[in-house]
Amino acid sequence: MKKSHIATLITFFLLIPATLFLGAKLPGRTYYITGTLIILELMIPFFMAFEGRKPQARELVIIAVLSAIAIAGRVLIPIPDFKAIFGVIMLAGIAFGPETGFMVGAIAAFGSNFVYGQGAYTPWQMFSYGAAGMLSGFAFGKGRLPRKAWLMGIFGFVTVVLVVGPILDSMSLFLGFVKPSPEAFGLVFIPGFAHNCPNALCTAAVMLILGKPFLSILNRIQVKYGMLT
Amino acid sequence: MKGNRQLHDAFSKRHPAVNFVFFLGVIVASALIQHPAYVLAGFVTGAIYYLMLNGAKGLKFLLLLLPVFVFVAAINPLFNTDGQRILCHVFGRPYTYEALLYGLALSGVIVVMLLWFGCYNQVLTGDKFTSLFGNLIPAISLLLVMVFRMVPNFIRKARQLAGARKSIGKGAGENATAKEKVTDGLTLLGALTTWALEGSVVTGDSMRARGYGTAKRSSFMIYRMTLSDWLLMAAMVLLLGLTLVAAYFGQTAAAFTPVMEIAPVSWGLCSYTLFLMIPILYHWKEAAQWYISRSKI
Repeated sequence: MKKSHIATLITFFLLIPATLFLGAKLPGRTYYITGTLIILELMIPFFMAFEGRKPQARELVIIAVLSAIAIAGRVLIPIPDFKAIFGVIMLAGIAFGPETGFMVGAIAAFGSNFVYGQGAYTPWQMFSYGAAGMLSGFAFGKGRLPRKAWLMGIFGFVTVVLVVGPILDSMSLFLGFVKPSPEAFGLVFIPGFAHNCPNALCTAAVMLILGKPFLSILNRIQVKYGMLT
Repeated sequence: MKGNRQLHDAFSKRHPAVNFVFFLGVIVASALIQHPAYVLAGFVTGAIYYLMLNGAKGLKFLLLLLPVFVFVAAINPLFNTDGQRILCHVFGRPYTYEALLYGLALSGVIVVMLLWFGCYNQVLTGDKFTSLFGNLIPAISLLLVMVFRMVPNFIRKARQLAGARKSIGKGAGENATAKEKVTDGLTLLGALTTWALEGSVVTGDSMRARGYGTAKRSSFMIYRMTLSDWLLMAAMVLLLGLTLVAAYFGQTAAAFTPVMEIAPVSWGLCSYTLFLMIPILYHWKEAAQWYISRSKI
């Protein structure tokens, strides 16, 4: 068995249950620490797998470039709250597969926080951004959804509203409330939804406008340099 | 990224491992402990250290924390109606004294975390992080280093591209509509991607030609653990361990609802406060030493 597979098994069957158990045992309000630990533990297998397969130089540089573009996208479009970051991450996932998508998302979140400041949200952002890249990689993999611009746009919108946004919002639920009650749930997720919609629209716009050209750029590079994935 | 600024703080010049362990301890402890005295200690020490790192500019951030504090404190009793003394009714639900205090403690925790993360960002810069984890996660650290280099590089290139587009009458001007701005920005992003990916393949091949991946990557360590690093580390572990013992004996326990039960303040608070003051004390020690050795000349 591969080392990363063992790590995955240990994480899911030992580490996470142990964290949940300890979190429930400890006195006081430990939701935030428990939640963050689980988020970190969920990422361990991905990072172990990445380190374990000793990525080639080309692959490393491509992931770095895509992450840097996702971060730079925040600066290039001079409209506040228009975040191209999810769009770029998801397109990277579509073009290079779920694993690369996850890495681009997690690294883009982590790296951009070195510019904008790390915080209690860093692990949650890494996980949710990575999840966006991974999901799109799965959904548009070979023989799955057709890579049509409108379909990618809808997929981008839905993923941001239903996956990325809620993961990020649940952090404020764990961090900011005495106890997660149904009302607190509503208070976090309903404004969260209102805030996520513009982001999701941006993502959809990025996918619609940039989707086709971006994929053909990546495709051309893959053909030109003989990287047939 | 923020590393080019001159830092006149002695603690941030120590080994990154010392800095990292300290901040890890602070952030985990301040997220877990909601005893008001401990939260207050975290705030006061955090504020002093933040001001030491940022000078008078840091005051603005401290003022910004005030609305956060008030908002989170006021909103929590709306959702937690346990408690004995009812202050008033909001939307027909009791707004209790205990829940308000709980809200205050909790928003104190959040403010303290924000404050210490603010210090973390000043002290543990990207270069320190990657040098610290370069051996544990070599590929990811290398990725981060490349990203740190590429982001400013790409932004510069994007400005060039925008300039070239402007000179042939393309691109969004001052009074372009939002749609034009978005389309223009995305066109730029596409052009940038082409350029960057072509470059990336060349970089990758060059790395391979120079032998990347043929042997275990060794890394140049600019930082070495010196005696004072070990001493600081020992002091941190000792003080944090004492706090942990205190927590085990229930000194940090604080329950607010349904019945208020706050443990009396004892020696645990001393060890916790001393732990939090390590960077401040260390800086003062260095400053005093410098002053004394200078006055001897």
